[in-house]
Amino acid sequence: MSFIKILGVALSRGRATIRYPLEPPLITPYFRGRIEIDPSKCVGCGACARICPPKAIEIVEQGDKLAIRYFVGRCIFCAMCFDVCPQSAIEVTKDFELASLTLEDLYDEVVHSRRRCSVCGEPYLTTKLVDRVLQSIAPELRERLEMCPRCRRESVMKVIARARIRYAEPVEGG
Amino acid sequence: MDLAKALSRLRRSLWVFHLNTGSCNGCDIEVLDALTPYFDVERFGIKLVASPRHADVALLTGPITAKTLPKVVKALQAMPRPRLVVAIGACAVGGGIWFDSYSVLGGFPQLERLLRGLGIEIDGVVYVPGCPARPEAIIYGITTLLGVTQQRIRKRVRSASG
Repeated sequence: MSFIKILGVALSRGRATIRYPLEPPLITPYFRGRIEIDPSKCVGCGACARICPPKAIEIVEQGDKLAIRYFVGRCIFCAMCFDVCPQSAIEVTKDFELASLTLEDLYDEVVHSRRRCSVCGEPYLTTKLVDRVLQSIAPELRERLEMCPRCRRESVMKVIARARIRYAEPVEGG
Repeated sequence: MDLAKALSRLRRSLWVFHLNTGSCNGCDIEVLDALTPYFDVERFGIKLVASPRHADVALLTGPITAKTLPKVVKALQAMPRPRLVVAIGACAVGGGIWFDSYSVLGGFPQLERLLRGLGIEIDGVVYVPGCPARPEAIIYGITTLLGVTQQRIRKRVRSASG
């Protein structure tokens, strides 16, 4: 008898099933999907790669090129890269239809060119990042920014090595 | 049996087997959600079965821990050809946050390589990213496998200069 009762409820409520692939899904304003890196805003500082918990964003250095490689297959959609990006180059989209038949298609790369060290000629940071920092620092520091970290350390150490040393006066009974 | 002929038979109905390989149960809940009347995957003829011997598709969740590995291999070996796998969630696709951990294999691509070494062929794979993958994403993955919907994501390489 309870079946008749349920039938009445079912008929009055109508269809509950959503027709998903044929109709748009329910997406709340808080939903986080795939991230989108804006190549024109990205400077390649690598803050996103450093904060990413599953290392879905990686920095791939290859000679004169540096790529920010995003592997959506490993992404946990925490949006920490969005929070940390100093350039606001990362946008969190609502896209979740990411099913792929190959692993290759889940990669997204933003390729940067790297600046070469003015002393040794080795590539270090991206040109975009160096250009951006050059604008905001004092002119006397600009020369050192054009060096790779190793040459910069050596040049600073040379200055420090020549510094005048002051010894403290010996203390009586100390 | 001819494999192409067998694959064309899959246009009719897919029977799925839920294979948890050490997942946190997030994706498993989403798999169960996809089977509820709200999403109702039986619209596509998809039915959950209790044994891998009856299944066409394995819904693989989790990063494949060392503890589950022999059972996973046994279950996939028990499946009849054509063997299809839907790798669900960040763990199954790329290892998730455990990708370089000592006690996990780190996702389905590594397992596939291992199975090939053991002589177990996998005839079709679809990767469904998400942490956890939404029920809609799972449905989208399976319909992509069936050819009802088209794969939307493509590999992109963009230059940042300019």
